[in-house]
Amino acid sequence: MNEDKLSQLFKQASVPEPNEIIRARIKREAMAAFILESSQGNAETARPTETSSDVNSKQRGATMVNSKASMRRVWTRHIASGAAFVLVLGVSLKLVLNSLDDQTQYVSSHSSADEKSIHAEQDQPAATLHAIAPLDGKEQVATKMVAPSTNRMAPRFDFYTLLPRSESVPHQDQDAALSLEETHRDRFSHSDESNVKVVKEQPVSTFSIDVDTASYSFVRRQLNQGVLPPEDAVRVEELVNYFDYQYTPPASPKEPFSTQVKVMDSPWRTGNKLVHIGIKGYSIDQHAQPDSNLVFLLDVSGSMDAPDKLPLVKQSMGLLLESLKPSDTVAIVVYAGAAGAALEPTKVAEKGKILAALEQLQAGGSTAGAQGLALAYQLAERNFKKESVNRIILATDGDFNVGVTLDESLEDFVARKRRTGIYLSVFGFGEGNYQDALMQTLAQNGNGVAAYIDTLGEAQKILVNEATSALFPIANDVKIQVEFNPVAVAEYRLIGYETRALNREDFNNDKVDAGDIGAGHTVTAIYEVTPVDSNAKLVDASRYERDAQTKANNSELGFLKLRYKLPGELESHLVSTSITVPDGAHEQTTTEKKLQAEVNFSVAVAGFGQILRGGKYIDNWNYDDVIETAQKNKGDDLYGYRTEFVQLVRKAKTAKAL
Amino acid sequence: MTAETVIAAAVGGDKRAFAELLEGQYHRIYRFAYRWCGNVPDAEDVTQLVCIKLAKSIRQFQGHSTFSTWLYRIVVNCAKDWQKSQSRHLGEAALTDDIAVSHSASESAVLLVQVLKQVDAMGEGFKESALLVLAEGFSHREAANLLGVQESTISWRIHEMRQRLAALGSSPGVWKRHHE
Repeated sequence: MNEDKLSQLFKQASVPEPNEIIRARIKREAMAAFILESSQGNAETARPTETSSDVNSKQRGATMVNSKASMRRVWTRHIASGAAFVLVLGVSLKLVLNSLDDQTQYVSSHSSADEKSIHAEQDQPAATLHAIAPLDGKEQVATKMVAPSTNRMAPRFDFYTLLPRSESVPHQDQDAALSLEETHRDRFSHSDESNVKVVKEQPVSTFSIDVDTASYSFVRRQLNQGVLPPEDAVRVEELVNYFDYQYTPPASPKEPFSTQVKVMDSPWRTGNKLVHIGIKGYSIDQHAQPDSNLVFLLDVSGSMDAPDKLPLVKQSMGLLLESLKPSDTVAIVVYAGAAGAALEPTKVAEKGKILAALEQLQAGGSTAGAQGLALAYQLAERNFKKESVNRIILATDGDFNVGVTLDESLEDFVARKRRTGIYLSVFGFGEGNYQDALMQTLAQNGNGVAAYIDTLGEAQKILVNEATSALFPIANDVKIQVEFNPVAVAEYRLIGYETRALNREDFNNDKVDAGDIGAGHTVTAIYEVTPVDSNAKLVDASRYERDAQTKANNSELGFLKLRYKLPGELESHLVSTSITVPDGAHEQTTTEKKLQAEVNFSVAVAGFGQILRGGKYIDNWNYDDVIETAQKNKGDDLYGYRTEFVQLVRKAKTAKAL
Repeated sequence: MTAETVIAAAVGGDKRAFAELLEGQYHRIYRFAYRWCGNVPDAEDVTQLVCIKLAKSIRQFQGHSTFSTWLYRIVVNCAKDWQKSQSRHLGEAALTDDIAVSHSASESAVLLVQVLKQVDAMGEGFKESALLVLAEGFSHREAANLLGVQESTISWRIHEMRQRLAALGSSPGVWKRHHE
């Protein structure tokens, strides 16, 4: 063997193609690091410069990076390792909250009687209070309370508490804990796929928009573990709305969002058409965005001491600072054992100070979430400005996640504060946080988003790329109503939005709550329609029905109406447009082609969602069609989300084959 | 945009340009990392280290050297740091990694991993010299500039490598293991 042979060997030993999902993830993390660096660069002003002999400084730099990255390595591997990890991070029930008003007494009770009552209420949500009891092993030692026997609490509560004393726990109890956790965690309300409606019987379709994306995160997690998600876990509209589409934004900030309607041939059923409704909220750039008065409420309890929790929270909050203006203020409240202010309201201009405060946080102790929440609101109130967006950002691994003992008073508390002008957004951290009903409820009552951050890449997506959507609502209670024209359309079907259906009369009732749109948000809804003259009809025509075929107005498929409220207003506005078939004669301009590509991609995602739900209405359309359509219409894909999607479809195909 | 303007824009803090740069460089970073580590998961870890390091230090690139040289400096440093951290923490795991490789990789890939292990054992600087010159196609001069050593040092290492590999190659037992 000599060097020539070695060179040959290099050539022969092929390098496998890089895994595209990993590549997309690394890219996102590098983008986040790039942006974080710019923030620190600004804060420090003086930057080290490259010299020809700076090997030492490079070494130092590299070592520093290395320590962080090896930590990241641990959690990326963990995430890859799947279900077991999910279970370990199970729901922890952290503190009993007996009442919560402005001068609350926080009673953490550990008596077995109280625990029994919680047990009971997990199954039967009670009308009154309760939730969140500190049953963390460490904390019980710290507060010198009598720890309830592990046996009793194990199956119900926190798998963490089992870990330090595993030798005292019989095996079957751990198993019981696991299986209970398992069934407990991934619970989905069943919803039948919207079925085909006959226009003559039911010409009007009404629903609320939905900007949640949690279903996508869940589907992704399942597929990355090599299993197909349960059909009920797939909410097609949440898959579609995970992606940001480059729809044409509204012309002037006077209208909060633009609405575009595209009619195209259905890719999966010949003769059918798709009516594609794309909504784009106006984006506000950093100079124009209103002042923000933010309070970060960070969970630093013992369970946050995992690489993908507190360290990720710190990095995420650092990223969020990037989306703020220098004149905005940030305060930090932590809760663990006792809640405390880690940082008084501070201008973002003093970024260094905020970052330093974040850096110092350490996980440990128990959770005093309610106390923390009250303190956070106190700080927000102290710094309250009417014209600002006053918002609390809660970051937790799910201690507020005990949705089953739904806490009305906590919910009401948040809603009451919302009416005074302080909003609440909730960010979940750590793998396995899917059963997040309370977080969703809190965020909904707080006019905020509930999002789930499992990687720095996801933090980048939510807190930087889409920060304005998360921070600044531009339209509340957005409802859509479509009336189809029986002369032109025989049948229609709304794709997804099963859980968002509204009654026809709800549309004009401003008291009925609906989804909110944030600045720059895109929302997509797709109908599949069968024209009157098509052979694709699924329902036979009624024999005795008088067919009032008038030629008039049959170029119009239907009429679209949207209702929304401007933030802070109680009365809704109405916008409407007719849905017409394009004549298709003229050649598409570049802009139109781009727009069509965005529409096509969303259709690919909608098709994928329907396949995962059983594919009842989409004939022979299959995973390969999804891949092909998605690949063709990927666009710039700056952050690799669409590439990741294509990989997920491949995984679904593989999982299906198994 | 040309490669130069993309680099310049990224150095100036342009997100889109950095994304494009990263896309363009990803494969060569990964390729080097894979050859250095000999298996995919480790290569991904090193690639991640490099990409994040690149993100953090791109603004310091001033064009005193070519971008390629500058980039490979980061790549080599990250790969070496990673290796150090591995030998500190995972003395045991390294062995199992070897076994994993021999199960999945091709004959020549297995051979390469073993040869590079020999090369690495020859002393500080040998492995990166081999990869840069023989796999990535840098000249001795470029590799010397990149690694911050004299050109003659690189030439000596390559020469020395040839001698010792030839000696090892003829001695029985060295290649045996993977044939068994």
